[in-house]
Amino acid sequence: MIPAIPQPDPLALPAPAWFLWALLLLLFFLHLIPMNLVLGGSIIGAIARVRGRRPDRPHEARLAHIVVKAMPVLISVTVTFGVATLLFLQVLYGRLFFASAVVMGWWWLSVIGLLILTYYAAYLLAMRESSLGAAATILAWLVAALAGTIALIYSNNMTLMLKPAEMVALYAADGSGVQLNLLDRSLLPRHLHMVLGAMAVGGLAIAVLGVVRRKHDEAFGLWAVRYGAFICTAATVVNIFAGLWWLAALPRDVLLQFMGRDMRATGELLAGILLTLTGAGHTVLAATGKRPGVMVTISAVTLLAGIAMMLLTRDTIRRISLELAGFQTVNWVAPQWGPIVIFLALLVAAVGTVVWMTRALVIARPGRQP
Amino acid sequence: MNYPVWDIPASGLLIAAIAVLHVFVSHFAVGGGLYLVLLERKARRNEDGPLLDFAKRLSRFFILLTLVFGAITGVGIWFVIGLVHPQATSSLINTFVWGWAIEWTFFFVEIAAAMVYYYGWDRLPARTHMAVGWIYAFAAWMSLVVINGILAYMLTPGAWTLTRGFWDGFFNETYWPALVARTFVAAGLAGLFAIWVASWVPDRSLKARIARDAAWRWVLPMAVAIPLSLAWYLSAAAGAGVPVAEVFGARDGSLAALLSAVFSTGLATGHPVAQRAAWWVMVAAVALTLLTLLLAAARSRSFGRPFAALLLVLGLVAMGGSEWVREGLRKPWVIGQYMFVNALRLPAPDGVPAPPEAFVERFGADRFTLDAVNASGVMKASSWVRPVPAHLLSPDAYAARAEHQGRELFRVLCSACHTIDGYQAIRPLVRGRSPESLAGVIGRLASPVDAAGNASAWNVLPVHVKTWRNRRMPPFAGTDEELQLLAAYLALVGGADPSALGPPAPSDDVGKAYYDTNCAACHASDGVAPFDPGGRTPAEFYEMIGRLPGINEMMPAFEGTEAQRKALAEHLASLPGKTPTGGAR
Repeated sequence: MIPAIPQPDPLALPAPAWFLWALLLLLFFLHLIPMNLVLGGSIIGAIARVRGRRPDRPHEARLAHIVVKAMPVLISVTVTFGVATLLFLQVLYGRLFFASAVVMGWWWLSVIGLLILTYYAAYLLAMRESSLGAAATILAWLVAALAGTIALIYSNNMTLMLKPAEMVALYAADGSGVQLNLLDRSLLPRHLHMVLGAMAVGGLAIAVLGVVRRKHDEAFGLWAVRYGAFICTAATVVNIFAGLWWLAALPRDVLLQFMGRDMRATGELLAGILLTLTGAGHTVLAATGKRPGVMVTISAVTLLAGIAMMLLTRDTIRRISLELAGFQTVNWVAPQWGPIVIFLALLVAAVGTVVWMTRALVIARPGRQP
Repeated sequence: MNYPVWDIPASGLLIAAIAVLHVFVSHFAVGGGLYLVLLERKARRNEDGPLLDFAKRLSRFFILLTLVFGAITGVGIWFVIGLVHPQATSSLINTFVWGWAIEWTFFFVEIAAAMVYYYGWDRLPARTHMAVGWIYAFAAWMSLVVINGILAYMLTPGAWTLTRGFWDGFFNETYWPALVARTFVAAGLAGLFAIWVASWVPDRSLKARIARDAAWRWVLPMAVAIPLSLAWYLSAAAGAGVPVAEVFGARDGSLAALLSAVFSTGLATGHPVAQRAAWWVMVAAVALTLLTLLLAAARSRSFGRPFAALLLVLGLVAMGGSEWVREGLRKPWVIGQYMFVNALRLPAPDGVPAPPEAFVERFGADRFTLDAVNASGVMKASSWVRPVPAHLLSPDAYAARAEHQGRELFRVLCSACHTIDGYQAIRPLVRGRSPESLAGVIGRLASPVDAAGNASAWNVLPVHVKTWRNRRMPPFAGTDEELQLLAAYLALVGGADPSALGPPAPSDDVGKAYYDTNCAACHASDGVAPFDPGGRTPAEFYEMIGRLPGINEMMPAFEGTEAQRKALAEHLASLPGKTPTGGAR
C-alpha cells in the first residue's frame, strides 16, 4: 500500500520544528487581524453604505467612507503577513498543502486573480468614491464578496489538506484541479465561524475608531462606539452557535479531544470562548457610555487574546486530524542559524523602519508639504 | 509522482504567463523606485513644479501597478509553481525558507515605504519624503538581491549539490552576473515606464524633457550594459557546466557561434524553445533600441501613447524571452544537478549529508530517485497514478493496457513539458513510429557523462547530461516493461494500429531488431534523415558502422556486439531505398 501522504524531501528541516511552528502561529495571528478587518470591514462597510444613503444616517455614510479609504492599506497588510504565514505553513505541512492545492488547482490559482480584482476594486473605490455614484455600492459589495470567496477557497484548502485519503480519492475522480472539499461537513460551519469572527473584529475596530474620534467629533465617536459594540456583540453571540456547529461537524475522534480527553485542547477552547465573550461584553459596557475608552481597551485586549486562543484551537484540530491521518513531522533537523539570525535582525530593522515611516505619516498634517 | 500531477495541458505555460508579466513589473518596481526618488530630488533642487507633479503622477501609476499587480503576481508565481512543480517547490522552500523570510523583511519595508511615499506627497516634509523614497529604492533592490540567489541557484546550484549548505547554493556561479544583469534591466524598465507615463502628459515641452532624459540616461545605456552582462552570465553558466552551446545548437560557446545558431533556421539539434526565445529577445531588443533612439533624437515632443506602448511591448518580449531562454538553459533540470523537470531526483552522491536512521525509519528510503523508480516502476512508486484494471493485464489486452498505463506514464513523466497536440506536441514527433523505434529513443533520452563526454554515473557530480540530439530531455525512469508500454502508447498516439500491438517479443532478425531500436527513430522513411542504402554492400555497411560519428556527428557510436554489427550491416543492405521501414502505419 502506497502511503497517501507524500514522502518528505531528503533534506533536513532548516530550523527546529517548534521554532517554525511558533513563527507560523505568530504570523498567522498578524495576518488574521487585518484579514478580519478586510473581510468583516468590507461587509460592514457595504451595509453602512446602503443604510447611509438615507439623510438621517450621516454617521453610516461616514463610516462607509472611512472603510473605503482604509481598505487598500488593510489589504496590503493582509497580503504581506499572509505571504509569510504561507511560507512557514509550507515548510511544516508542505507535503499535504501542495497535494491538496493541486487537487483544487484552478480554484487555488483563482485566488490570485480574485485578489487582484479585490485590490483594484478597493483602490478604485478609495480614489474615485465620490464620482462613482451608485457604482460605489456595487463595488463595495464586490470587494466584500471577493474577500469572502477568497476566504472560502482558503478554507477548502486548509480542510482538504487534513484528509490525505480523501485527497487521493478526489484526485482519482478528476485530476484537472476543479475539485473542492465541499462534502466536508466541517467546511461551512468553519467558514461561517471565520466570517462572523471577522465581523466581530470589524465591529471592535469601529468601536476603537469611535473612542479615537470622539475627542474631535463626539457625536460620531459615540455613535461609532455603540454601532461597533452592537456588531461585535451580535456577531459574537451568533458565532457561539456557528462554533458549536463546527465542533459538532468535526470527526468524532477530533471532537472528543475537546471534550476533556485532551486537557490542553479543552482548555484552549474554553479560554477562547470565555475571552471572546468577555471582550464582546465590554463593548456593550462601552456602549452604555461609562468610560468607553477603558471598556473598549479591555474589550480589544481580551478579544485579541480570545482570537489567539482560537488560533491555538484551530492548530490543535490540525494536529489531531493529521495525527489520525498518519502524518509525522520530519525528524531530521539541521538549523540554518546564520540565515535565521540575519532574518531576525532584519525583521527588527524592518519593523523599526516601518514604524518610523508610519509615525512620520501619521503625525504629519495634510498640506504641510511640499 | 510523489505529488499529484496537475492534469491540464501545458501547465508550464501558466508559470510562464504569470512569471513573464511578474518579472516585467517587478523589475520596474526595483528600477522605478530609484528613478522616482532621483526625479523628485531633481525637481525639488530645480524647484521645477511641473516635474514634481509628474513625479507624483508617476508614483500613483507606480503603486497601482507594482503594489497590486506586481506584488500579487509574485505570490501568483509561488502559487503556480507549487501546483505545477510541487516537488521542486517543496525542495526550494525547505532549502531557502530563510532566504524567502529575509526577502520578506525587505518586501514588508518596500510595501510600507511605497504606501507612505504615495500618501505622503502632501503631508511629509520634503526631506522625510525623500528619505522614504530612498528606503523604498533600497528595499526593492534588496529583495532582488535575495530572490536572485534562489533563481540563480536553480540553474547553477554551486557547491550546494554536495554540502546542502544555504550559502553554498545562494552564492552560486551565476549569482553575480545575474544580479548585475537584472539590475540593469530594472533601470532600463524604469526608463520605459517613465516614457509611457510621459506619453499621457499634455505639456509637450515637459513630455519631451522627460522622454529624452529617460531615453538617454535610463534606456539606451542599458542597451549596451544588458548585452554585456548577459554575455558574462552565459559565460559563467557555461563555466558551471550549463551546456549553453548545445542548447542553442551552436558549434561552440563563442558569441559568434551562438548568434549564428540563434539566427539559423531548422536546426536539427538543441532546445528549440530556447532557440526561438533567443531569436525573439534579439529582435525585440534591437527594435527597442532603435525606436528609443528615434524617440530621443526626433520624436520626443510628438510621440503618442501607441508608440510608448510599442516600446513597452518590445521590452516585455525581450525580458520575457530572456527568462524563457534561462528556463531553456536549465533543462532537463528543474533544480540543477538535483532534480529533473519531471520531479525525479538524482541518486544521492557520496558525501552528501544523508538522512539519519531515525528519518529513514520513519519515512523509508527515498522512493523518488532515478534508481529507485527504475527499480520499483512508476506505477508502484506513486499513489497518484490510476492503477491498471486487472482485465487489462492479459497479453491479449496489450494495446488497451498501453493506452491506459502509457497515458499514466506520459502524464507523470512527460506532461511537465509536452502535450499531445498543443504546446511542444508529442503527436507530430511520434507519427508513424513503431513502438520499437520509440522505445529506442526513450531508452536513450539522456545519459550521464563527465566533462570530457565519457560515460559516467548519475551519482557522480558534476553530472553532464548527454541528451538525444541535444534536446535536453530527462532520462526515462521506470521499469523496462513501463518503457515498452510508454513506447506503445506513443505509437498509438502516432497512429499505430492497436490490433498490431503486442508485448515485445525477442526478434529472430537481430539486424532488424537492432535497427528498429537504435536507428529507425531518425532513419525511418518519414524521419529527419530517411535511410537510403544507395546500393552499398553488407561489407561496406559493416565498415561504415564502425565510424558513425565520423559520418555525421549527430550519430552515436555503435555500441552493439560483433554479431549485431554483422547482422545490422546485412539488414541495411537489404532495405529498399527511401521506402517505409519498420514502424506501424
